[in-house]
Amino acid sequence: MATDLRPGPSVSEPVLRWSARVHSIAEIEAQLARIWAKQDLTAEVEGEPGRYIAARTSVMNLVVIASRPEIGERAATTVQALTGRHPSRTIVVQSADPDGPSWIDARIEAHCVLPRADAPETCAETIYLAAGGEAGRHLAAIVTPLIIHDLPVTVWWPGEPSFRSPAARDLLAGADRLVVDGSSWSGDGLARLRAMASLHDATGLAIRDFALVRQSRWREAIASVFDDPDFLPYLRSIRRIAVTYASHDETGAPGSTNLVKPVYHVAWIASRLGLAVHRPLTPVGTPTASKAKVHHPAPGRQVVGRGLHATLSDGRGDVGVVVRPLISPMPGGTTLRVELLAERRGSELRADVTAEAESVHVRVWQDGVEALDRPFLAARRTDLELLGEILESGLRDPVADGTLRSAAALVGEDHA
Amino acid sequence: MKELRESRSHKRTARPRAPTNVLREGLRLERVPDPSIFVLFGSTGDLAHRKVLPAMYQLWRTNLLPHEFILLAIGRRDLDDVSYRADVRVSLEQHSRVLPLDEAAWSTFSERIRYQRLDFADAAGFDVLATRLDEIDEDCGTRGNRIYYLATQPGQFAEIVAQLGRVGLDHERHDGGWRRIVIEKPFGHDLDSAKRLNREVAKVFRESQVYRIDHYLGKETVRNLLVFRFGNGIFEPLWNRRYVDHVQITVAESIGIENRGAFYEATGASRDVLQNHLLQLVSLVAMEPPATFDADALRDEKVKVLRAIGTTPADPERQVVRGQYGPGWVAGTAVPGYRQEPDVDPGSETETFVAARLVIDDWRWAGVPFYVRTGKRMPKRATEIAIRFREVPHRLFRDAGADPDPNLLAIRIQPDEGIMLRFGAKVPGLGLDVRSVTMDFTYGSAFSVDSPDAYETLILDALQGDASLFTRADEVEEAWGIVDPIIDAWAADDPAAFPDYDAGTWGPPDADQLLVREGRRWRRI
Repeated sequence: MATDLRPGPSVSEPVLRWSARVHSIAEIEAQLARIWAKQDLTAEVEGEPGRYIAARTSVMNLVVIASRPEIGERAATTVQALTGRHPSRTIVVQSADPDGPSWIDARIEAHCVLPRADAPETCAETIYLAAGGEAGRHLAAIVTPLIIHDLPVTVWWPGEPSFRSPAARDLLAGADRLVVDGSSWSGDGLARLRAMASLHDATGLAIRDFALVRQSRWREAIASVFDDPDFLPYLRSIRRIAVTYASHDETGAPGSTNLVKPVYHVAWIASRLGLAVHRPLTPVGTPTASKAKVHHPAPGRQVVGRGLHATLSDGRGDVGVVVRPLISPMPGGTTLRVELLAERRGSELRADVTAEAESVHVRVWQDGVEALDRPFLAARRTDLELLGEILESGLRDPVADGTLRSAAALVGEDHA
Repeated sequence: MKELRESRSHKRTARPRAPTNVLREGLRLERVPDPSIFVLFGSTGDLAHRKVLPAMYQLWRTNLLPHEFILLAIGRRDLDDVSYRADVRVSLEQHSRVLPLDEAAWSTFSERIRYQRLDFADAAGFDVLATRLDEIDEDCGTRGNRIYYLATQPGQFAEIVAQLGRVGLDHERHDGGWRRIVIEKPFGHDLDSAKRLNREVAKVFRESQVYRIDHYLGKETVRNLLVFRFGNGIFEPLWNRRYVDHVQITVAESIGIENRGAFYEATGASRDVLQNHLLQLVSLVAMEPPATFDADALRDEKVKVLRAIGTTPADPERQVVRGQYGPGWVAGTAVPGYRQEPDVDPGSETETFVAARLVIDDWRWAGVPFYVRTGKRMPKRATEIAIRFREVPHRLFRDAGADPDPNLLAIRIQPDEGIMLRFGAKVPGLGLDVRSVTMDFTYGSAFSVDSPDAYETLILDALQGDASLFTRADEVEEAWGIVDPIIDAWAADDPAAFPDYDAGTWGPPDADQLLVREGRRWRRI
């Protein structure tokens, strides 16, 4: 049953203009056609007929895979806030009760937003779709008929994506871009990170991770160290990379804290500098490279409180990598500090980058003498801002692809 | 032979590549400006406070300037570092595009501001300036890199350039210290004065060191025009005489002369807008694709367009229309006529409006008129380029209700930067009525990132040594070569019957006739 139209929206504030509930794909399609075929779409403003609702606008399909209803609602709220700029047909899908009888429950909504006071309304549909039983195990078969053809398909998978499941394979087969947040994954997140890199390698699917996009303020700050012509020659002579991250686990046990963000820092530097992974990340205290092949402990099984280490190589020498925890009130896995050590012709350059809510701070010492102390004003960004940036960027991002590939190499086979 | 040429060419150009900061790949800037001193002449003036300083602050606030950066403000007023910073703070609070000011950013930005009192006629003062610049290099690590920004009265350009040359402040150092000079428009008053100024500048600076600024070229939509034309496959094949009927370019201002009567009396619309903004837009619309996207390749193509514009001295009254506004109403307010404005001669002959029919005598545009117009006290502020395409060769739907208007592509430069495409569509129903509909792209609603101000774009480009969006000496002279004969013809003509349009209208009736006699009309904006 469809609801009546509501009064006109305020600028940038999405307003629900249509809602219906149905239980089959055919009914969903019929409702979608009805929304925009309705002849009288004038809204009432202060009791008088007001603005004419613009026709449905879509520049892409956005499929949100939600493991729980509240995740779907939260994601849909973010998407609706972007309607003015990125109107999309949003399909929020949730699988439930896989062993029960087959069923579909769909809520169809039309939200409208005024991008500017003098602009026509931009309206887009959101379909909340839950499926159980056999239907829930074949979500791709439900989603595909609802996709607006010829428009790109972005799959946003908040929570814990199961990249290797047949359902994921089917859903992603028709996608142009996958959006995830690796920093929200359970455990250390590294096995899932590697699985995601395998997916990228196998399919070429463009993958954007909030965890990586969120770090752009760090990358700007770290890159700025080498803008100085005096420091630029050291860039190819980095010998040590250390990333300190927040942990709440006093034992520092591997697997207790999400490590995706710290690993991305190292992977980004490695990929930009063309550093090969000589020895993947292993808990500090494990034997050196050659012995590690024999005595390698399974990640997550050994309690070691000093983080992970790895070795990269630039062909001329090794680059030591340390990823270490520090007890901190910050959310677990948050990067607290990135340190670089470069050595060149007997001279040493040390860079130390730290961040706070509104800024990133860069300090550089050349042969022990402070040479740079610069705060960068760069606030942490919200999910809304991050999603907007991802959707506005092109599908190809060699830096993100390279970072993901390096991250997988750093994680190593043990996390496969 | 070709292989041999290429092989020789390769040998000539094969040099060891300078190391680059590969960590910048994919970031906002792939290269940041070098450490440098930004020497701002005319630092107490209106332009500096309204445009240049807010742009510098914004660049600093968004981390786009190097850490080793100093803004050395030059002015005649008796100020010091502290009092000048206080003045800057006040103007930023009025003119910064992001308010309130970010206190942390202001704190670090203000530390980088210095003030130097200097009378431009005082040769000894420039010796003091040279010494101070060396001291700043020594203290602040600015490495001898300097950009001189002339935001002064145009009459002072030559004097400042000569003084800079006299004390050797133009000399680029072998160890990498570069020197650049940014010169604000107007660049000359006519062709002779522009040539003279070019010669004076060339005595001191090489052309590659000179950045003549026309802020229109820094506007997002103007830059997007290049992307639109050369980054899309579907428009360029239509961009020629075969498909385009005519082009209209409008630069309309709703404001008057804003207490600049003395300046405007000596300038007029032709010198103020036609010679620079309008002809720059014409050349960007009409230019051939450059071979590469470097500054000289781009400017070479623009110059070719200017050279191909047929001048109309023999028949200016049919090709060019001038006008002057009388009293009227703009935006619900009664406004005085031009001759009633302060510092304006009550019998002034200065034009506040100019419209012209330009022809570009080249293979691509032969026979396609470019109608351009600009004026003060128009009904609204709007800058727009409209490409009107030809009608279909056979009008199948002439009886189907209203025949659709020919296709039109409108590129809005301000306000509401964006692009609109008009095409015909069938009206739903059993009949076959056709009407025009539009597809509209608006920057503000399509991207969540704010467009930078034109001055931010251009100042950053100058600091990075990218002259693509700056005007070259030959461009300036070619543009004056088009405008000069028009002004000369007016001077030789009888006094104009000014005022000939009311404030708040789209110019004199003759401007409409420019198109009407060819079966066209100005686009309603």
